[in-house]
Order: sequence, then C-alpha cells, then structure tokens
Amino acid sequence: MKLNRRELLERCAVFGAVTLASSVSLPMLAAAWDEAERKKTTPHSELGPFFKREAPHDTMLRKPGDAGMPMALSGVVYDTRGDVVPDAKIDIWHTDNAGFYDIDGYRFRTQLIPGPKGAYAIDSVVPGHYPSRVCQHVHYLVTASGHKPLITQMYFATDPVFDGDPAKNYTRDPLCGSVDLVRPVMIKSDGNQMVAAVTFDLVMERA
Amino acid sequence: MRSLVPMALLFSCALSAPGASKPIATMQLPCPAYFQTLSPDGTQLVVTCRDMSMVVLSVPEGKTLRTIPVESKAYSAAYSSDGKWLAIGYQGGSVEVTSTKGTASAQRWQGGPRRIDLLSFLPDGKTLVVGPSDEAARVWSLSETPKLVATLPFEFGGASAAAASPDGKLLVIAGGDTAVRFYDTATWQKTHENRNFLLESFALQFTPDGKQVLVGGADARITVLDAATAKQVKQLPTDGGSYIVGVSMMGDQHRAATVYLDDAGKKPPHAVVWDLASGKSSALGVAPTCCESVAGKLWMCSADDKTLTVSQHD
Repeated sequence: MKLNRRELLERCAVFGAVTLASSVSLPMLAAAWDEAERKKTTPHSELGPFFKREAPHDTMLRKPGDAGMPMALSGVVYDTRGDVVPDAKIDIWHTDNAGFYDIDGYRFRTQLIPGPKGAYAIDSVVPGHYPSRVCQHVHYLVTASGHKPLITQMYFATDPVFDGDPAKNYTRDPLCGSVDLVRPVMIKSDGNQMVAAVTFDLVMERA
Repeated sequence: MRSLVPMALLFSCALSAPGASKPIATMQLPCPAYFQTLSPDGTQLVVTCRDMSMVVLSVPEGKTLRTIPVESKAYSAAYSSDGKWLAIGYQGGSVEVTSTKGTASAQRWQGGPRRIDLLSFLPDGKTLVVGPSDEAARVWSLSETPKLVATLPFEFGGASAAAASPDGKLLVIAGGDTAVRFYDTATWQKTHENRNFLLESFALQFTPDGKQVLVGGADARITVLDAATAKQVKQLPTDGGSYIVGVSMMGDQHRAATVYLDDAGKKPPHAVVWDLASGKSSALGVAPTCCESVAGKLWMCSADDKTLTVSQHD
C-alpha cells in the first residue's frame, strides 16, 4: 500500500514517530514537506525542425565505427512534486559527430518509455557542431498523460563555446535559455573506452 | 538550425512561370542578410539581417524606410496579400502591424507567449495567423483593436507553416508535431488533418483552384494533399541533402516551384521547378533569398555580401 504524504505523517504521528509543535498542523507540515521537495520544471528549449516521429525504441544508438566520443546519457523523469513519471514517452534525437541529422533514417534517434522508477539511459556519441547552431545539443520531447509536453535541449558543459564557464557564457547560444540545461560531463572508462557520461533529469509540469 | 527555418518560411510565394529574367532593382544590401520578404505589390521588402535586426527598403529605389534595431529582437515578418499591411513578430511574443502607406497608426500587442516564428495574413488582410515558438497558433482579427478569434493547438511544438485558400475559406497549418491540419475560417473548426508526415513541413501552398495543397518540408519533397479530405494525392521525388522552405504553383497550374535550403552545408540554396504530372524537374538557376508573385510575375531576390538584386522571371 502506498501512502500519500499526509497519510504517512498521520501514521507517524499516531505511532509517535513525529511530534508536532502545537502551532503546526499535519496539513501544514505536509504542505511544507511538499514544497521543500518541489522540483522546478525543466526549462523549455525549442523543438527544432528535425524531429521525426516513430523513432525505434533503442537504447544503444552508437554503432561500431561511429565517429565521436562515446556518450552515456541518463536521467529520471519527474513531475514538479518530485514523483517519477513512469508512463512518459521520451523522444531523444541529435546529430552525428559531424553535425548532421539523419533525415532518411533514424540514426541517433530513439523513443523510450522509462521504467517504474522513471529512469532512462542511452548510449550514443557526443553530437557535433553544425554551422547555424552555436552549441552541441541533444533534443528531448517528453509527453505523458496528465502533463504538459516538455520540449527541451540538453547542452554540454564541456562545449568549447562556454569557455569553461557555462554559468557566464550559456547565452552565447541564443536558444539555450537557461544554465540548467547545460550539464556537467563526467569522463569515465567503461573498461574498453572512455565515455562522456551525462545525467539530465527531466521535470514535467502537470497539465 | 531552427532559428533559420522560420525566416526561411518567408519564401512562401505564388509564382508565374520561369524563363528569361529581367532586373527590377539593384540596391545596396544594408547588412549581411539571410533572407528578404518582398511585398506582393513590389514596393517594399524587409531585409532580415544576420544580427537579427531588420531593415525595410523601398523598391526599386533601395531607400531605407525603417530600421528595426537588433535590440528590438524582431524575428518574423509578413505582408498582407494586397501589400497594404506589414506584420512583424518579436522575440517576446509581441506583434506589430503597420500600414505600408502610412495611412494608419501602428498596432502592437501581445500576440503570443513566446517568440513569434510565423505570421500569415488571410486574403482579407484583416485576419492574421500568429505562430509563437512551440505554442498553439493564434488567430487575430485586426479590425480596430486586435481581437483573439481562435487558438489552433498542436499536440506539441508550434506552427511551422500556414496558408489560406484563395477564397479565404480554408486555412491549412503545419505544426511541430508534423501534422497538417485544415480549418474552416468561418468557424475555426478543424475540418481534416493529415498525420502521415514523419517530419515537419515548412511550406504550404494552395493550388489556384483551391482544391489541392502542396506541402514541403524536412523530407525535401513535395506532397500534394486534397484540400477537401487532407488525403495524399501524390508525392514527388526527394531532393536529398536539403529541405524545402517554399513551394508554389506556377501560373500554368501544372508545375510547382520549390525553394530548398540547407544550412548544414551539404547543398547551397537553390530553386527547382517540378512538373506535377510527370515528376520531372528542372533547376531555376538562382540561389533565391526571396520570391513573391507581383502582378502575376515571379520576382526573386538574390544577394551577395553587398548587393541585393530583385529580378522578374517571365
């Protein structure tokens, strides 16, 4: 049985696990707790012209021989209350290492449905730069029943465009509207090769 | 990439027939520019500069009529089909409509919640379709104070192209969700939609009889839809390595001119004329930066670093 926050607090109060000051009610405590764990909606960053419907449900987008630094991209889909959204559909797409989208096929495109814990993970390559965009980026479209569609892009803190200071320089790409979209990159070894590991959690707003 | 595409939509135009070209005007380009928007009466054009400022020039004189500085963050522009009105969309979602003849004061209002990617007048010149980035399109009546008359939603994303039928009774609009939807402009009820496109469409054009719609976009090919059902009638071959930003019927009504763009560097901008019946194509021989039907003739712009040329193609 899954208890909501108020029910959990009531049970804790009954068993003495929580003691409330006389000026604090359970609803007040539940609301304060909710507020403390509230997550900020992932900032919008535009859809771009090369979204393609019906992408395959692949988690391994990298093929042997693909140019570019291997990338491990993962995260969790939440709503603003901090609850996971297990039934979300996540479309992810990006260019190859040379900066080209696959229009004819589905290279570096996938649609995922996170598991019960809301988690997703893909293996790919770090996308390249292309002439009309300043920064390397990965596109996301996340949809889920009862939630507003989330359209955003993830950027790499290691992108030379940021000169090592994304907080100061993220606006060098006019489409990157928030430093929250610029994610740190951890270089690690998977035993065979070096991999750029990036975590990008997604927070959806309820409709 | 996306930042270029809405500007490229300004290419949408109605063409006559290709053939010999006749220079209309050669003028100094006021700034390095991506595209221009030519008024349908051929008296003005809007230069969209690479720094995102805009300059309105008279044609053929090349006199600067107005400069919209980069700080204003103008993003999209469209003329009404009679050339009397110019609409400009801004970064913050505001829209401005001015009289090109200076006969009425400008109107400016919040046309949408985000940057305005798309503007398209209905043939009456009094109704304006406004496409904010990744938001539902808004339809505004421009009689006196702008009044919101309809909101045209998408599953996700925003408007990427819009066109009205010649009689103004139908609006077709393409969205970031890749669907192409038809609306009755009397009621703003959706009449039909086509969800068979896997990629986004950037150009829409009704045939002169209003019975079909030409659709072009990221799939780099023309798809012909039946306007009464939204079903696909035919599809022409792709021109790989680029995407369509403008598609228009020629005056003979059996050929379509198509403008291709590719800012990924695979192919330069180019224009191709397609015979809709045979699927045969021929290059138009220009790298167009604007096109417009002016008095039944095709006018196109071409630009180098310093000079802008407007020419007529008979």
